[in-house]
Amino acid sequence: MNFELPPLDIEEYKLGNGLRVVLNRDLAVPVVAVAVYYDVGSRNEREGRTGFAHLFEHMMFQGSANVPKAGHFQYIMKAGGTMNGTTSSERTNYYETMPADQLPLALWLESDRMRSLAVTQENLDNQRDAVKEEKRLRYDNQPYGQIFDIISSMIYKNFANAHSTIGSMEDLDDATVEDVQEFFRMYYAPNNAVLVLSGAFDTEIAKSLIEQHFGDISSQPAPPSIDVAEPSEVADDYREWHDPLAPLPAFLLGWKIPPRRTPEFNALFLAGKLLYDGDSSRLYQKLVKGEESVLQLFGFTDERRGPSSIYVGAIPKPEQDLSSIRATIMTEIESIAAHGPSADEMQKIHNQLINDTVRMRQASITRAQQIAEYSLYDGDPSLINHELDELLAVRPDQIRKAVSDFLDTENRSLLDVVPSGQG
Amino acid sequence: MGENRATAPAPLEPVPFNIPNAFRTTLPNGLRVVIFDDERLPLVSYRMAFLSGDAADPEERRGVTSAMMSMLTEGTEAYSSRELAEKIERLGASLNASSSDDFSVVSASSLTIYGPDMMQLIAEAMFAPTFPEDELVLFKKNTIENLKFQRSQPNFLANEQTARLIFGKHPYGRISPSPADIEKLERGGLEATRKTNFLPNNAVFIAVGDVRKDEMLMQIEEHFGDWEAGDRHVHKSELSNERISPSLTIVDRPGSAQANIVISNQTVPRNHPDYFPMLVMNQILGAGASSRVFMNLREEKGYTYGAYTRFDAKMLGGSFEATAEVRTAATGDSLKEFFYELNRIRDESVLADELNDAISYLTGVFPIRAETQEGLTNLLVNQELYGLPHDYLQSYRENVGAVTVEDVQRVAKEHIRPEQVALVLVGDAREILKQARSYADSVEIFDKDGGEKKVTDYEKSSDEPTTNVAGDWNLSLNFMGSDVEVKMSLVQDGDSVSGKLTTMLGEGEISGGRVTGKDISATALTEIQGQSIEFIINGVVTDDSMAGTLSAAIIPDSLSFTGVRQA
Repeated sequence: MNFELPPLDIEEYKLGNGLRVVLNRDLAVPVVAVAVYYDVGSRNEREGRTGFAHLFEHMMFQGSANVPKAGHFQYIMKAGGTMNGTTSSERTNYYETMPADQLPLALWLESDRMRSLAVTQENLDNQRDAVKEEKRLRYDNQPYGQIFDIISSMIYKNFANAHSTIGSMEDLDDATVEDVQEFFRMYYAPNNAVLVLSGAFDTEIAKSLIEQHFGDISSQPAPPSIDVAEPSEVADDYREWHDPLAPLPAFLLGWKIPPRRTPEFNALFLAGKLLYDGDSSRLYQKLVKGEESVLQLFGFTDERRGPSSIYVGAIPKPEQDLSSIRATIMTEIESIAAHGPSADEMQKIHNQLINDTVRMRQASITRAQQIAEYSLYDGDPSLINHELDELLAVRPDQIRKAVSDFLDTENRSLLDVVPSGQG
Repeated sequence: MGENRATAPAPLEPVPFNIPNAFRTTLPNGLRVVIFDDERLPLVSYRMAFLSGDAADPEERRGVTSAMMSMLTEGTEAYSSRELAEKIERLGASLNASSSDDFSVVSASSLTIYGPDMMQLIAEAMFAPTFPEDELVLFKKNTIENLKFQRSQPNFLANEQTARLIFGKHPYGRISPSPADIEKLERGGLEATRKTNFLPNNAVFIAVGDVRKDEMLMQIEEHFGDWEAGDRHVHKSELSNERISPSLTIVDRPGSAQANIVISNQTVPRNHPDYFPMLVMNQILGAGASSRVFMNLREEKGYTYGAYTRFDAKMLGGSFEATAEVRTAATGDSLKEFFYELNRIRDESVLADELNDAISYLTGVFPIRAETQEGLTNLLVNQELYGLPHDYLQSYRENVGAVTVEDVQRVAKEHIRPEQVALVLVGDAREILKQARSYADSVEIFDKDGGEKKVTDYEKSSDEPTTNVAGDWNLSLNFMGSDVEVKMSLVQDGDSVSGKLTTMLGEGEISGGRVTGKDISATALTEIQGQSIEFIINGVVTDDSMAGTLSAAIIPDSLSFTGVRQA
């Protein structure tokens, strides 16, 4: 079928200090999203210094020259906005969605912390504790909470890829305030960031506000380059994890795959959809229906600029033979590797891609986030207008071949989760 | 800019947000119809919403509405479960049916071009489900397994107790049916429930998005025009509030790193005139990251990653809850701060600034919530189902803005009731009981399966003297059939214990240990291959010998040991 989506209005430019700015004007709802993406994630951390990128996500809410500690939330909320920050292997992002008239406030807040973050001993101590609490809450105290960090460390050999974003608490304890100040100077520089505005604004006013708030922040020498290259073999093909909180055994399979936006990655992303996305997916129909052996089935791709990964996991029902469930998964993979997807499956994928793209465009914040990623990772924010075509162009035979080359192989990691507590 | 930067910049000219009024009509069979035309993107969302939900389930068929709704998409006269899933997903669309306490909703959304297909599938699922026996068996098995699984989630355990305590025997008091309830479900019951609930005079159809009113009305007429009205008799249980004093309920999760806290009482239903003042009061007190309890418990005290209050209003009544997941050792201190904040908002009027901030937050985020079709549709569905005024969305911001400082204090006094709260804690009962005891008049303790435990088993008995456990201990540990030597040296100060544990894996620091009579419990933190591992030691000391268990997350079962104290 033919489906033409009108392109989003994208304007891109650079400030004198190297800050990349992207404007996406859309007046549908009087709301504006502001996203600042810093080119720093766990991939930039070296051994003995893990968890810094994520610690910084916390530090960024601890005040700056003109904004008191925790003032960031306060200002945003009082203005009727929403905000957050997240850290991944690839980047650290900060974003707000505001009533359209509050654009100056968002820019003032983001520029004040880029310019003058309060990296003090007190804030460092306090946020180290907050990170430890977050680790307890999100990882240690949740059944299966640590399995994704563990399997990443099994898939990747390169330390830059293998370690978790939450990092080591010992590394955080060892960090001095000088280490942290240096990290800020290096990575939180305008020339290492992208600023995106999406939503209702006047372009001339927006440009002048951006120049006014960000224009005189000094640029810094480029951060050290990093090497995320990987051999194709996984680091560790099997591990058993004793989870004191898990009520049932579970397993997670992971494969190392080519970087995002390569034809192979795109093909595997679509293969993943066929395998585990939705009630009509192959594995849902085989395992949750069919064999009725699985309670929860899940899968996803971890999209990285360097070597990426794809996962399939299951929490089987009690008393099930886990190896036979894995055999069923591998049989489906072999079948795609041999025959590729059916015509019906291709039609399904196409409709789902179109639907997902249209939905992503509804909210200013999801537009801003996508645009920021294309700008930061690819140097081309207008890719947002081509991503759908790129994925729609993937041919069934490319999917077949990518599955055959990357998934239908012994080169994978298997993590077995064994309940070890009272559950 | 220099000094200009010192203060936050003023906003630009405000941009009005005008939500047009939806088109409303009622078909001759009583089906209410709401059409909201929004042509921004080629998407449509449809909802067939029924004014009856899980709370209407008869006692002997608990869970039947929820099961019936879930089974609508598991096989119809025209399609098997799999064919239906494939048909929907091939369109890139979604079709779901589910129920809540008060309502049941069939939802569909798709690209505009597939709107007519989805209309047909909604009608197929509603009018021609076959509830195939094998699918029902699978549904029951999976639901029961999921119910078991949820018992490993602290939030589920906390919510389960909270609902029971504040809503009592009313159906709102159960957040899920029991496995035995699910076991009993039968096809006949599902079909009977469908017949009772699925009446046009018990329903509202809502269409939002890239729709043309006249075209839409024709489709609605085509699929739902001949649907016959019937006797609408929705069973409604009376809701009462019988709580008279604060109670403490603990769900024991031994070894838990955190305690989940829920402090709650029953409050007003969704249609209550105090709804807007409650919304604003809750915003000031705890709805967000700049609210009082968050600023106190997280930002100032650092007890938790987040602390919030929640106001959830249903058809017949609502709940007010204060919640946080805190470090086990900070449970008592967190309760103290929570109660301080609950009393403060009742006893003192809030500052004008706090009120204005809460109002500007609630009015400001409103357009953000309406930005997506999903968000807008949910607003419209709630408006229709709760019978809110037709101009509810248009007047929402005005209603929020009209709340005064006096209103806030009045609703806080009336609807937050520290003197009758249910205090629910999920965590290590032995550790948290003593910290929380003084906040309640009565105590009960359950295990995670709902079995009631003896409270005295978790208390330090005051008449038993504290045994002296200090010294160097040689322990012999049974590890996979062979004996392993472990050394432990303990220093005692009153009933607290610290020291060192030396195993073949290295040395661990013991801190925060306790002696209760003859029982010692302590944890040792060891570093193994860069990972920090916690060993939990539980022992009984008799003179110079000790027997007990050692457990750690990396060991599948706890290991038993015996040992002697070195002279």
